[in-house]
Amino acid sequence: MSGSGDLDPTLREALIARLTAMADDELILGHRDSEWTGHAPLLEEDIALANIAQDEIGHALLWLEARTALDGSDPDELAFFREAGAYRNVRMVELPKGDWAFTLLRQFLFDAFETELLARLARSSHVPLAEAAAKAAKEEVFHLRHSGLWLERLARGTEESRRRLLAALEQLWPYLPQLWQPLPGDAALAEAGVVPDPAELEEAARGRIMAALARAGVEPPAEAVPNPGGRERHGEALVTLLIDMQSVARADPGVEAW
Amino acid sequence: MAAAAPAGQGPRWEVFKQDAAGKPHQAVGSVHAADPEHALLMARSVHARRPAAVSLWVAPADAVFAVTAEELEAAGPWAVEDGGPNRRFLAFRKTSHRRAMTFVDHVGEVEAPGPRAAVAAAMVAFPEPPALTWWVVPADDVVASPEEEAGAWFDPARDKTYKQQSAYGLLAPGKRKRVEDG
Amino acid sequence: MSRPAPSLDERERLEAFEARIARGEKIEPGDWMPEAYRKQLVRMIGQHAHSEVVGMLPEGFWITRAPSLRRKLILIAKVQDEAGHGQYLYHAAETLGAGRDELIDALLAGRAKYSSVFNYPTLTWADVGMIGWLVDGAAIRNQLMLAQCSYGPYSRAMVRICAEETFHHKQGKEMVMTYARGSAHQRAMAQDALDRWWWPSLMMLGPHDSDSPNTPQLVRWGIKTKTNDEVRQEFLDEHAPELMEAGLGLPDPALRFDEASGHWAHGPIHWDEFWNVVKGNGPLNAERLAARRQAHEDGAWVREAMAAYATRERETA
Repeated sequence: MSGSGDLDPTLREALIARLTAMADDELILGHRDSEWTGHAPLLEEDIALANIAQDEIGHALLWLEARTALDGSDPDELAFFREAGAYRNVRMVELPKGDWAFTLLRQFLFDAFETELLARLARSSHVPLAEAAAKAAKEEVFHLRHSGLWLERLARGTEESRRRLLAALEQLWPYLPQLWQPLPGDAALAEAGVVPDPAELEEAARGRIMAALARAGVEPPAEAVPNPGGRERHGEALVTLLIDMQSVARADPGVEAW
Repeated sequence: MAAAAPAGQGPRWEVFKQDAAGKPHQAVGSVHAADPEHALLMARSVHARRPAAVSLWVAPADAVFAVTAEELEAAGPWAVEDGGPNRRFLAFRKTSHRRAMTFVDHVGEVEAPGPRAAVAAAMVAFPEPPALTWWVVPADDVVASPEEEAGAWFDPARDKTYKQQSAYGLLAPGKRKRVEDG
Repeated sequence: MSRPAPSLDERERLEAFEARIARGEKIEPGDWMPEAYRKQLVRMIGQHAHSEVVGMLPEGFWITRAPSLRRKLILIAKVQDEAGHGQYLYHAAETLGAGRDELIDALLAGRAKYSSVFNYPTLTWADVGMIGWLVDGAAIRNQLMLAQCSYGPYSRAMVRICAEETFHHKQGKEMVMTYARGSAHQRAMAQDALDRWWWPSLMMLGPHDSDSPNTPQLVRWGIKTKTNDEVRQEFLDEHAPELMEAGLGLPDPALRFDEASGHWAHGPIHWDEFWNVVKGNGPLNAERLAARRQAHEDGAWVREAMAAYATRERETA
């Protein structure tokens, strides 16, 4: 079991990269979820999705604080003063929120992957990471129930809901593999027991997603899709998102506190 | 159940929340949802955003039979259903006019052929203190949050200290007080 | 048009009803109540619920722009609470026979009123803090009073809302105090927000007592226990000195402390503007309702899917 002081420089850098990637996924996804506040189809769902958004942003803070312990970086500095090119989230989470089917299906795919990832990270040889993962995993139980519920209801609701769900699935499917695509430093981290074996994680996540789609009576789109590339590649959607997200902070960069 | 407009708010479900083991489930309000599972998830989102909770029940609002002490008095001899098999009913009551956040508390179960008989049975089974309002709900209509997931459903609310007023301390404008960073 | 005189039976019932209220008893769904009591409450509770839901929009606008991760979390939680408060209040209205579908239809069709204060724009990030300090500060005063309401479901909703609203007030105060002693830009932003939100906050507590014909009956029926001016005075006495202590100037040259009464006195309120906004001509009336209408229409297919799924599940069960 290792603490923050035990990692050699290579592993430390690799872990910083992994924590940043996970934090960026959570922050951007949470941000997209929060765009629904005040605009959801039902008052109760407005409240539910706002909770999920808070959970995701909370997870981003968990990972960024774990990174702070390694390199003294400031979470707000990282969130509000990095350009799009320096962000390391997957493309899937930065896509505009779309309709309810798009948001909830994206959430489901992410939740299914996260459930498998967090279960394994909770057994990490790096104690602070294991503890943060265990905390996040608890919240993820409810997320998966919620997004899984919507997968069912959209698939088996009306013709329109099914049509929208299938359209969202076509749109999201090419981005899915990037979720479990390992970072350059992940191999070394996996060997040290800090992160799970990528191939095993991929199999578990795929299995969970396929089983859920099958239960909902939904055929996955055909495989063989273009690879969205590494996490350093982003679309204009992220640029627009960050211009908005960072605007107030950047208008007064030297402040002591907000 | 009354037919609702398809794009409408959907049926109403009464929500009961148990704050801690050993305490009764209490009526905290309702949610609109289309089905029982959705109602439970919405109940957790709306009514357990803040601590404390260990269990939630939901029941279709239509399944709840409510009667106040004033209504009982005005009704005169209380006509009950007779014949038919006994069913299990959960009984809830309010016993005080004291200002509160919650309405009726779960007091126990009775067996009766129908809701009116259930109220009569509840008054006999739980006579003290006298109830100001009775609710009876068929046990079969009550859906509970999964016990084995109670930790996942209800613990995370405790960590969201930034939405608790106690996290803000005393804010005195005149002093240069360092406010806690949540 | 005069109403027919109540029958003897009705007069007895009314006396008994008013005696219950005088004894401090709560009126619960199912208890006898005058039709005017029910109507007043549906109107008041409905308006209150609509205000919460529409109130999500001015602050919701800034969620994506919150300048720190902590402020982002706090603001999402606050706006989420406003949805929750609307939810509890719609529930209370539903116990009086007003369905949520019809309440929402009335709001979206422009037939229902909601608090005029939410028809003002939030022009800067500091507006979020000022709304928390002032608007929620005023709301808390009002809600503390309404928590004593004789109608059980409304009282219960108010008690719960009061408990949650305190966090709104405190986080707003914390924000504004931080900016008032922060950078030059933050100080200017805070002062500008106060300049724009001070008068709307005073006005949101309602017209002067002399212009509030409903109040005496509402007091007798335990729906209101203080008048608008009384609550406004409480709000002023609490907030004026604190804002000044924080280093901000109040946009009221006539504001002064009256030694004799021990209370603060404010200058004349421009009621023309208030009534204009109440009637629907405020800066953002149309936009607020349009946003809610859009959300409602966009969500129709989702609600239909929910209903269709539930029907199928019941049929195949």
